[in-house]
Amino acid sequence: MKYAYFPGCKIAHHLPAHGKSVEAVCAHLGLELHKPEFSCCGYPVRQESRDASVYSALRSLALCARLGLELMTPCKCCFGNFRHALHQVGHDEKLKLRMKDLLADEGLDFPETTRVRHFLQVLDDNRSLVEDAVRRPQKGLKVACHYGCHALRPENITHFDDPFAPTIFERLVALTGASALPWDLSLECCGYPLRGRDETISGLLAARKMAGAKASGADVLATACTYCQLQFGGENHHPDQSIPAVLFSQILGLALGLEPKRLGIEPGEAWVRLAV
Amino acid sequence: MDFFSIGLTLACVSAAGGALWRVRTWFLRGKAFAKGGNTGPGVFRRFVGGLADVILLRRTLRDGPARWTGHMLLVLGFLPLIFLHAMDDVVTRPIFSAYEPTLDPWQFLRNLFGLISLTGLAILAMHRITRLKHESIAQDWALLAVIGGVLVSGFFLESFKIMSPGDFTRMTDDYFPEAESEELLALKTYWARENGVRFTIFLPTAPEITELGAQLHEDRCAGCHAPTATAFVSRSMTALVPSSMNIADQGRTVLWYAHVALAFIALGLLPWGKFFHPVATAANLLVRGGSRTSSAGNSSFSSGLALDACTRCGQCSLHCSVAPIHKVLGNRDILPMDKLLDLRQHLDGSLSPTGTAALVEGSHICTECLRCTQVCSAGIDLQDLWATSKKVLTEAGRAGVDGEIRKSTAAEWARDFSSRNLGRIGSTGAGLADRAESFWGCVQCTTCTGVCPVVAVSEDPSRDLDLAPQQIMNLLRMGLKAQTLGARMVWSCTTCYKCQEHCPQGVPVADILYELRQLGADNLRKKEGRA
Repeated sequence: MKYAYFPGCKIAHHLPAHGKSVEAVCAHLGLELHKPEFSCCGYPVRQESRDASVYSALRSLALCARLGLELMTPCKCCFGNFRHALHQVGHDEKLKLRMKDLLADEGLDFPETTRVRHFLQVLDDNRSLVEDAVRRPQKGLKVACHYGCHALRPENITHFDDPFAPTIFERLVALTGASALPWDLSLECCGYPLRGRDETISGLLAARKMAGAKASGADVLATACTYCQLQFGGENHHPDQSIPAVLFSQILGLALGLEPKRLGIEPGEAWVRLAV
Repeated sequence: MDFFSIGLTLACVSAAGGALWRVRTWFLRGKAFAKGGNTGPGVFRRFVGGLADVILLRRTLRDGPARWTGHMLLVLGFLPLIFLHAMDDVVTRPIFSAYEPTLDPWQFLRNLFGLISLTGLAILAMHRITRLKHESIAQDWALLAVIGGVLVSGFFLESFKIMSPGDFTRMTDDYFPEAESEELLALKTYWARENGVRFTIFLPTAPEITELGAQLHEDRCAGCHAPTATAFVSRSMTALVPSSMNIADQGRTVLWYAHVALAFIALGLLPWGKFFHPVATAANLLVRGGSRTSSAGNSSFSSGLALDACTRCGQCSLHCSVAPIHKVLGNRDILPMDKLLDLRQHLDGSLSPTGTAALVEGSHICTECLRCTQVCSAGIDLQDLWATSKKVLTEAGRAGVDGEIRKSTAAEWARDFSSRNLGRIGSTGAGLADRAESFWGCVQCTTCTGVCPVVAVSEDPSRDLDLAPQQIMNLLRMGLKAQTLGARMVWSCTTCYKCQEHCPQGVPVADILYELRQLGADNLRKKEGRA
């Protein structure tokens, strides 16, 4: 399988480990990633301009259409905005015409059929491939799955999973040998969208969620979105009130038997010991 | 004082004074950015890395061979011309005792280096015309024109000197004053035939005269004059002047003034804009020491230098992740190359209020994707400049749309927005907030408010958030859009879409909140004169 890989803007500087681990996992599974020079998905500017946001998304989709590839992104917000942009042009003929003009300006055709997939969906499509490749099951690792809003909702636009009782993340965690614990707040927002806008509420949302994950008895909180990981990871949370936030691509990578270094895991990250 | 010394003095004063002024800004501008010292690899590795970037133009090669080849040729041709030709009295003559500009290899090399430079310049000009026309401003074309002018005028000057009978006479008066008229005629015959001087008198062709001419040339001229054919470009260019035109003497004088004046202009303009890039960019590459990532620990000096090192090569803007957003919104400060220009002006305190508003918007639309930093030929740590300038602007109360809205209360915004024609997102968007159908089914069941995580983390939502989601829907249903636009609930919506997903009546609550923010942003743009 071959995909046009859309890392999203934040990976290169703010979260290289996400890109590293996703690419390592895909390479190991034989999922070929093509890397054209994409632009922004349009999600960050969606607060300010609908046209700018939709056009940004369509431009990247048009590049995929030209390559004849499906787009695959490890970021839930990029995923959500691509789906949203396609929905918008699908329901607003005038918007579609404006977008077609802008694309034509750059010599691009309107991406009528480009399919957008999230990294988790691609893995789920290739479950047997993943299952066969697991070398070091992460037995004993208790995981609280954090779903990420923009892939999950609104379901009629994103078509990601059941918006009230999704199971895709737990299914994939089970493949790695780790156990996914049920917890109340797994579908709640991480609060990143309010970073730089309303720091107080952003911090409260993250803290509430982190407290819930810790209370569930999980060892780690697993994310599959660059923004969610940025919100939960790093030094943002007090060690007494939180558990480590870990990228699912890193958990899977370890289960596949890949070197921690190749997955962007820093030496001394405590959760890795739990996993082996 | 003659033209030459006055011109040279003025040009040197301008170059030196301006350069000092530019270097001064490296120390001043970075102060807004002051942080810790430099971090990164060891001093030696950094020096080698930086030097390699300066000499080999490694970063320019990233973009493909054309621009690198052009720039390399221009540098390899132009530097020897500056030192060996323009500064021959202080460089070449003291080193090579037998130096004469009209002897080989100098005469030949001058043409060779000129041709190499001109080829390089042509490649760069072609690149700018084909790829960067829309991104280019006056100084981009000015630099190409001035350097091109110096080179072309130089070739024409030499070409006219070759043809000039006046120069021939000046030389024979000085170095062969005792010549008989027959000897002069023979020498002229030789120089006209062999070296392309254009005399207006009738010249004999008798073999004995030609032979005498050759003999005299050997005795009196050849010590200082190689055949002009080795000035292969200039000599060939004499064919451009029809033999019927007798303008070599006048043309030679005009061209001398043109060539020298252009060279002085180039020198005098050195501290102006991108003319300074041979100094500033080279310095920046050395300071960056080959690094292609961003480091948060840049010193205030290296930030000040980075702000000044742009060559306007346009790579950042061509590869910018948010270029499609620039295409829609049209604000040039969304693209790195122009944003840098305005950031400098802002730090100098000379940016207009409209310009500042554009800079603030541009700096907030940037997604910090690192690409401009990776592609920058000048090795500027743009990532760090953007992150820091965004912080500095925010601390100065310029935090973008969101920051502006939060400066006033919901009630104040309600008054402000009531007095304006808000327009509808319908003209640019879906117009959900204006359509009765959007709220048709709303029964004010408060499910949206009940599931909202933002409402959930507030102890007193009506105090903290002005309005609850279902209240916003109710006001919109009554057509009171302006009353909702400043509410903190609108601007602190975390966009999780739970309200929309849970609404039993299918009201697109989250999409409507998005739309209100887009409308607010649109109206602020109009207010700041950037619609």
